[in-house]
Amino acid sequence: MASEASMHFTSAQTARQQATDNQSRSILLDVRDLVRTFGGLRAVDGCSFTVARGSITGLIGPNGAGKSTAANLITGFIRADSGSILFDGRDIVSMPPHRIAQLGLTRTFQITRELEHMTVLENLLAAPHNQLGESFWLGLFAPPAVRRQEEEYLQRALQLLRDFDLYALRDEYAGNLSGGQRRLLELARVVMTQPKLLLLDEPFAGVNPVLAGRLSDYIETLCQEQGITFLIIEHNLSIVERLCNTVIVMALGRTIAEGTMAELRENQAVVDAYLGES
Amino acid sequence: MPPIIFYLLTLATFAAIYGTLVIGLNIQWGYAGILDFMYIAFVAVGGYVTSLLMMPPATPGMGETYILGLNWPFIPAIIAGGLCASLLALLVGLVSLNRLRSDYFAIVTVAAGLILWTIAGNDTPLVNGWDGISGIPQPFANALNLDINSYGFFFLGLCLVILILVYIFAERLYRSPFGRALRCVREDEMVAQGLGKNVFVLRMKAFVIGAFIAGIGGALLVTYVDAFNPSAWTSGETFFLWAALLLGGSANNRGAMLGALLVPVLFAEATRFLPTFNSSPQLVDAIRYIAIGILLLLTIRFRPQGIIAEPRFRVPRRLFHRIGTNLPVAVAANSTRPTIVAEEEKTDGK
Amino acid sequence: MQTLNLLLLSAGFGVITASILAIAAVGLSLQFGVTNYINFAYGDLLTFGIYVAFVCNQRLGLTIWVGLLAAIILTALLAWLLNLFILQPFADRGNSPIIMLVVTLGVSLILQNVILAVFGSQFQNYAVNTGRPLHLGPFLFTPLQLSIIGLAIVAMVGVHVLLRYTRLGRAMRAVSDSPELARVSGINTRFIINAVWVLTGALAGLSGVVLALNVASFTPTVGYGFLFVIFAAVILGGIGRPYGAMAGALIVGIATEMSAAFISSEYKDAIAFVILIIALLIRPQGIFASRGRA
Repeated sequence: MASEASMHFTSAQTARQQATDNQSRSILLDVRDLVRTFGGLRAVDGCSFTVARGSITGLIGPNGAGKSTAANLITGFIRADSGSILFDGRDIVSMPPHRIAQLGLTRTFQITRELEHMTVLENLLAAPHNQLGESFWLGLFAPPAVRRQEEEYLQRALQLLRDFDLYALRDEYAGNLSGGQRRLLELARVVMTQPKLLLLDEPFAGVNPVLAGRLSDYIETLCQEQGITFLIIEHNLSIVERLCNTVIVMALGRTIAEGTMAELRENQAVVDAYLGES
Repeated sequence: MPPIIFYLLTLATFAAIYGTLVIGLNIQWGYAGILDFMYIAFVAVGGYVTSLLMMPPATPGMGETYILGLNWPFIPAIIAGGLCASLLALLVGLVSLNRLRSDYFAIVTVAAGLILWTIAGNDTPLVNGWDGISGIPQPFANALNLDINSYGFFFLGLCLVILILVYIFAERLYRSPFGRALRCVREDEMVAQGLGKNVFVLRMKAFVIGAFIAGIGGALLVTYVDAFNPSAWTSGETFFLWAALLLGGSANNRGAMLGALLVPVLFAEATRFLPTFNSSPQLVDAIRYIAIGILLLLTIRFRPQGIIAEPRFRVPRRLFHRIGTNLPVAVAANSTRPTIVAEEEKTDGK
Repeated sequence: MQTLNLLLLSAGFGVITASILAIAAVGLSLQFGVTNYINFAYGDLLTFGIYVAFVCNQRLGLTIWVGLLAAIILTALLAWLLNLFILQPFADRGNSPIIMLVVTLGVSLILQNVILAVFGSQFQNYAVNTGRPLHLGPFLFTPLQLSIIGLAIVAMVGVHVLLRYTRLGRAMRAVSDSPELARVSGINTRFIINAVWVLTGALAGLSGVVLALNVASFTPTVGYGFLFVIFAAVILGGIGRPYGAMAGALIVGIATEMSAAFISSEYKDAIAFVILIIALLIRPQGIFASRGRA
């Protein structure tokens, strides 16, 4: 039918328009109207927000607001029922998670997932994607190009370990690390992938204040010096306030506000849904 | 040749062949974490295909329908055997590896193996059913024209050469970024995806490569024994190889070879010398399997990493120095390998 | 007409197979629902029951029905002991489902071969009178086969009553649905798990004996061989769903018997394996589930 065709044309046009807008306005992540249902429950029910390039953006909300589901949708671990996700101008809503990671969107997990039976150094060496040596034939014959890349990764990994103060543990099995060390390892590992956008899922949960301070410093340094954009899901509001330029609030599966912490404190809806409780 | 030498020769040959087989299984399980209970079917495919390709035309009137009469030389035949096994793995993997979690995939492999076994046994024209094939030409026999004794040594040498090649291949693979990516998939599939690894493709590759080696080993096995029927490749045989790998040491090839030496060879052969009770030889077989079962349980309980544990990764000293690091010296890590931690125990730092 | 009769006849045989299968499948489904690992030793529990009844019947000269009772009780006991001393300790150490699978494999090897060592590998049978076949419409059943079907119905009704109307049964369902929630609600999950193993063992023993009665002669590997047919029924019906398992058993039983009318009967089992593979690939959560679990 003609009207359907024109609607289709219009939405494609809109998507392209969005993409160009995003790139020129330096919006790195553009989420629109995400919906995901489980059984009868709408875990994410019309979630829309943007993340500016070079920012540290927070995502907060009460338990059950759908933050973790949104994180899984964005990184491709769960498929969205509807909606769009534009990352650096590309529509990633139906991409598998490894493709999304290759495009520069990596994440950490709520419970740290280290590669237990591999050493700390190996954890970092395994991180970069599209390594030449990961193909069967190139890995087997290891031509000079592969070896050079391996050396480059090794240097970068060792430097990262020194920056994160994990160098002494480089030959230790990741499974033997303490909880705090695992947090650092996870962060170091995703940094090794040289991401554009790093999604951190509750990185400060259960973390003592000293370590929290260190993590915050790392995040700020990485943002300023390496230009990594951060999207941080977090419950600890004081940390969010200190660290994040912009904060997005979710409740009951949808985004209800976006702005600085100061602005959000003025926002009645936000106070009712979330800030009033804490 | 004195009988004792002959006996040792036989043991050594079996050890070499089983070593090859267990290394192949190691690539699937140790490297990639794939639980494959139809491994013996890949061995069988390799054995059947190689033999059928090598067999000369049948004497007319013998009624052996399975003989193709192609008379291939050994090397193309064994490669074809490996490739056919890989092809089977490709089929099974394409259909099921992506969709199922590991233990369900294991069930599919058992079922697939059983189906193949049933077909092989009942569809007589295919590979002569339950009676199996025999009269398989010996590799290089015509070219070398050796007497029986010398040929025995030659064949052992052939098996050792192949074992060494397979070992070097497997070791290179392990140390390469490809091997590292496989282990990443083995450790944590979600993390691997989050790091941009295509889990399905990597698993498929490990599955197919392991099957190829199984086919090679199968070719050696069948040409050595010169007779092959379905009773030689029941699903119980896969568990023998499994026990060998788990006991010897998963994820490392020296452990695989050690396991191959201990379980199928020493264990199986040593129990041959048990006094045959007034009962049947089946009693000895049964006791053998009971012991394997107990061994399996004890290994998982007390030494899950196997006798030779997976080696810890360390940067080669030369490479380390070449990078020219003046970074501080590391604390020597002599810690133990972490054991499996239950999900609930993973807490965050204090 | 000939074909129709043949089909109906084999459908009748399918019902018998389905009856045997249903008892076993419900047992396995319940156990899997509660423990979350696949039990490769389940088939050998059937074999154990078969040989308990064999000892009673052929060695002690008792009737097969006493043997049946003994099989149920002793297999239940064995299952409980296996869990208590071997399986639960391994599970408590946080082993993954894959490792647990290998553990059950080890148990299976031991169990099967102990029976083999004691009884030998020759075919055995029960001393029982099957009775003359009766024509019931297009179907052909012996009185023995009818009692098998009867036993299955009794067992299914018993399980149904247990699950739906007793506290124990409701607790079992709770633990199967969500162990954490059950624990938090004050249910002693440890006790329930053991209770499920007892029930599983009892069903396995019963199923084994009726299996042996139907196939007439058996060896120590008969249970293990039947295991994958049981898996087919369980997967088809949905893991942890006992009612689904009953339906799955009906489908698998009738499908295998009816297919045997067209292709050689040696491939009967292979049909079950094909069903198993297809079920795992297309609908691993079973035909009755509303959302995926596998």
